[in-house]
Amino acid sequence: MNKTLLCTVAALCLATSAAHAEAITVLVEGGGHSLQQAAADAFTKETGIEVNFVEVPYQGVYDKLTAEIASGTSAYDVVTIDVVWNAAFASHVEDLSDLFTDAVKADIPPALVADANVGGKMIGMPAWANAEIVFYRKDLWEDPANQVAFKEQHGYDLAPPATWQQWRDMAKFFTKDGMYGTNVIGATSEEWMAEVLQAGSPGVILDAAGKVILDNQAHIDALEFYRAPLCEDKSVPDNALEINWGEAQNLFYQGQTAMMKFWAHAYKMTPEDSKVAGKVGVAPMIGGTAGVAGIPGPWYNVVPSTSQHKDAARQFIAYAVAHNALGIEAPLGLAATNSAYASYMGKPGYEHFGPLMDTLSAPATKGRPLNEHYQEIVDEAVMPAFQGALECEDNVATLLQDAAATARDILGQ
Amino acid sequence: MADRAPQDAGKVVINAVALLLVLSYALPYVYLVSTALKPAVDVQQIPPSFFPNRVSFENFGTVIGTAGLPQAFMNSAIVAILTTLLSLVIAVPAAYVSALYRRRITILFLLFALITRMVPAVSLGVPLFQILKSLGLLDTTIGLVLAHTSTAVPLALLLMAAFFEGMPKELEEAARIDGCSRFGAFWRIMLPLAPGGLAVTALFSFIASWNEFLFALLLTSQNSKTAPIFIAEFNSVYGLAWGPMTAAAVLYSLPVILVTLVLQRQIVGGLTFGAVKG
Amino acid sequence: MTERRFVLLMLLPAVLFLGFMVAYPVALLVYNSFFDVKLIDPASRVWVGLANYAEVLTSKRILESAIRTLKYSAFALFFELVFGFGAALLFSAIAKHSHWHRTIFALPLMISPIVAGLLWRFLLVGNIGILNYGLAALGVISDPGAIKWLSDTDIVIYSVAVADIWLTTSFVALVSYAGLMNIPKDLFEAARIDGASAIKRFWYVTLPMMRPVLAVVVIVRGIDALKTFDLIWIQTQGGPRQASEVLSMNIYQRMVRYGDLGQASASATLFLAFMIALAGLAYWKIWRTDRG
Repeated sequence: MNKTLLCTVAALCLATSAAHAEAITVLVEGGGHSLQQAAADAFTKETGIEVNFVEVPYQGVYDKLTAEIASGTSAYDVVTIDVVWNAAFASHVEDLSDLFTDAVKADIPPALVADANVGGKMIGMPAWANAEIVFYRKDLWEDPANQVAFKEQHGYDLAPPATWQQWRDMAKFFTKDGMYGTNVIGATSEEWMAEVLQAGSPGVILDAAGKVILDNQAHIDALEFYRAPLCEDKSVPDNALEINWGEAQNLFYQGQTAMMKFWAHAYKMTPEDSKVAGKVGVAPMIGGTAGVAGIPGPWYNVVPSTSQHKDAARQFIAYAVAHNALGIEAPLGLAATNSAYASYMGKPGYEHFGPLMDTLSAPATKGRPLNEHYQEIVDEAVMPAFQGALECEDNVATLLQDAAATARDILGQ
Repeated sequence: MADRAPQDAGKVVINAVALLLVLSYALPYVYLVSTALKPAVDVQQIPPSFFPNRVSFENFGTVIGTAGLPQAFMNSAIVAILTTLLSLVIAVPAAYVSALYRRRITILFLLFALITRMVPAVSLGVPLFQILKSLGLLDTTIGLVLAHTSTAVPLALLLMAAFFEGMPKELEEAARIDGCSRFGAFWRIMLPLAPGGLAVTALFSFIASWNEFLFALLLTSQNSKTAPIFIAEFNSVYGLAWGPMTAAAVLYSLPVILVTLVLQRQIVGGLTFGAVKG
Repeated sequence: MTERRFVLLMLLPAVLFLGFMVAYPVALLVYNSFFDVKLIDPASRVWVGLANYAEVLTSKRILESAIRTLKYSAFALFFELVFGFGAALLFSAIAKHSHWHRTIFALPLMISPIVAGLLWRFLLVGNIGILNYGLAALGVISDPGAIKWLSDTDIVIYSVAVADIWLTTSFVALVSYAGLMNIPKDLFEAARIDGASAIKRFWYVTLPMMRPVLAVVVIVRGIDALKTFDLIWIQTQGGPRQASEVLSMNIYQRMVRYGDLGQASASATLFLAFMIALAGLAYWKIWRTDRG
């Protein structure tokens, strides 16, 4: 009797406190806000916990969380961070291992689970994931004249490219009539990193033990392949070094390139008045000797150690991953779990989910190294070698050896 | 009389050539405005066209509708106004005594102010970040105003000192004979005689803050983010938004350009003063 | 109130403010430069003596960005002076009719470097930059892709300076024009009567009279050019291949992106010392020649 009463009182207290005071603040980047708003609304309805989003631009997430940790203030209860920051913040956020139940683990592509694990601690829960897939012009690929001419030249049928060789062949083939086959992005190196994995490297830049493998054969092969359309085939615009994601996307929308490798979210964002609207086809990322591989671009929900509402924050994160599909209607249209993607499979307008899931769950797909010096290694070692290679003069192996030496220097190896 | 006509013709040619040169100098900005007036799809057109195929305010609509932009413009204006006021309050008295009471300490002081003008913003930015953080002033209007004022004060000092130097010292002495205190002479006699100097100094302080980028980048992130940072951020991970970016740049620079054109004579006067005396 | 007291009292607010907002941060900067200290965790700092300085002075990247800063400043300054002074001479040649010219020329005077950088990036950027299409149409270059302004590592540091030149030529021109107008007319008359040619008048009258104005312009603009950050940042963020990374950008990156407060402070301290030495030298020279 007494015990029951106590329980009831306790339950009441919990319920009222939840209904009253609880509110959590989530720090997000613009795109991430829209992806999580629906889940947050549903969460508030169910638990009574208010969810307030503070939206900042990409770099702002890093800067604000850094400032927060450094000053020990506690404005945020959940922060949605880019995977490349996981290592930097690992020791300043809560361990979320208990949220990774077997069911949750089984529902998330293994590469994303691996990226959450920094030194044995599960530092965050994937909120959504992205990866590069192949975008191509359906109208050009389905044109019978092109199909005949291509078969004549290359001896096999014209279909969306699946291998390195096909990629180069098709890029060359469509470099005609004032159009380029594709683009080479030179302002950032993620796309090349995917190809490093396709070439069978055990990791990008670093291996699992944290040793620098920037100069292994797979890195060399991938860089040779990556620059071939630029340096040998001349099937891309030659100002590669200033081409970044935005420029690559614009070239494709302007009908200047026939295909591109690009982040899957772009499929839903093709402007209606662009020259290629309605003509865009998608396929999984291309594959090398190790098969298809992509660099996942997931974002993680983490709970800063400074948070004052850790329980509510955990509840929200668990809820968000369990109801992951709620974000798909948002403009970016991305999710993290297999079940979320599966629930939209086959729906018109979501043709990119198949290729995205194929790429994300490919065995060779792997995240970027979780190292707190990652940014510095990329800037100081990788980019000079990568962009040097795209000037088409220097030897790729030599460049990568120099880069590896610089990286070892940074890591004190 | 005989050679008057060819000389005039020569003048006309020189005038025309000069005007052509000057107009081509303005061309880049004209292109910025023309781009902002293009429909969004045409902005990144390959190949580009100089003039819009059709004038559209779509980009301006996007910019004004972007969450946070009106706030950022507001922040810029508030920070610039407060910076201007604070700089004047701090710099004018010091400039006054530096100009009218020349002695070892004021000369040393002017030298110190000159040296602070040399300090690269990035050198100050690093420790200022720490200081403002420990005071809880990161990402606040006050924090940014303090930072901007630290660069505006040396400039204001040198400008105002130059203005006061141009005023007759006898005026101050006459006021003192008439029974004014030193401060009274400054406040009631000398200061009201320098409205031009004050205006130019205020304008320069305002513009310096309005245009400032590095401190704003380092010391704010959301609440007190100013317009230059906001404009730079149109270049996001999800692609380049040249259309809205050019529209925002036009909105941001147009008031400044109008002020420059209207007050050109005073501004150049200030610049010359600053340059020649500074 | 004594005169001495009055002077001190009037100086006080400025001294206090500059002390707190300039001198104290500079002291903190120098202090930080002797520690291994991370931005994210400033409480745990390890004294490393001069290790940061040793690292800065032996870093190839920092040395290269310092050299690049000098190249950028020299290039920008040279063309600003040539164009600016040239325009001023032109304006003074048509003195009475130059009002409109000067008004249009004043247009970029107060524009923010962010806007100027953005504008020039848009003019120079590959594929959609209109400048190359214009040059191709005029027959200056063979095709619009011929000059890769912002992606050719050999020229990018000069390409980004174009925006600076555009932005500040008007400052140089208008200040020089004011200087030219201040030269007493009878000096020219005397020279003319003596039979000096236009070139001689320029060489023996205009240039010497303009010397102080030009010297100050060089110092003011030179210091600003050495400090440049925003203008290049908005155009290239220092790329490609760090080929447009100047010193202030390197310091910013080291602090914000890598969180290495100690080393960033060491390079910032060296930068500051260099600037003060340079400015001191310049002021001293001018001050002395003014006296002499």
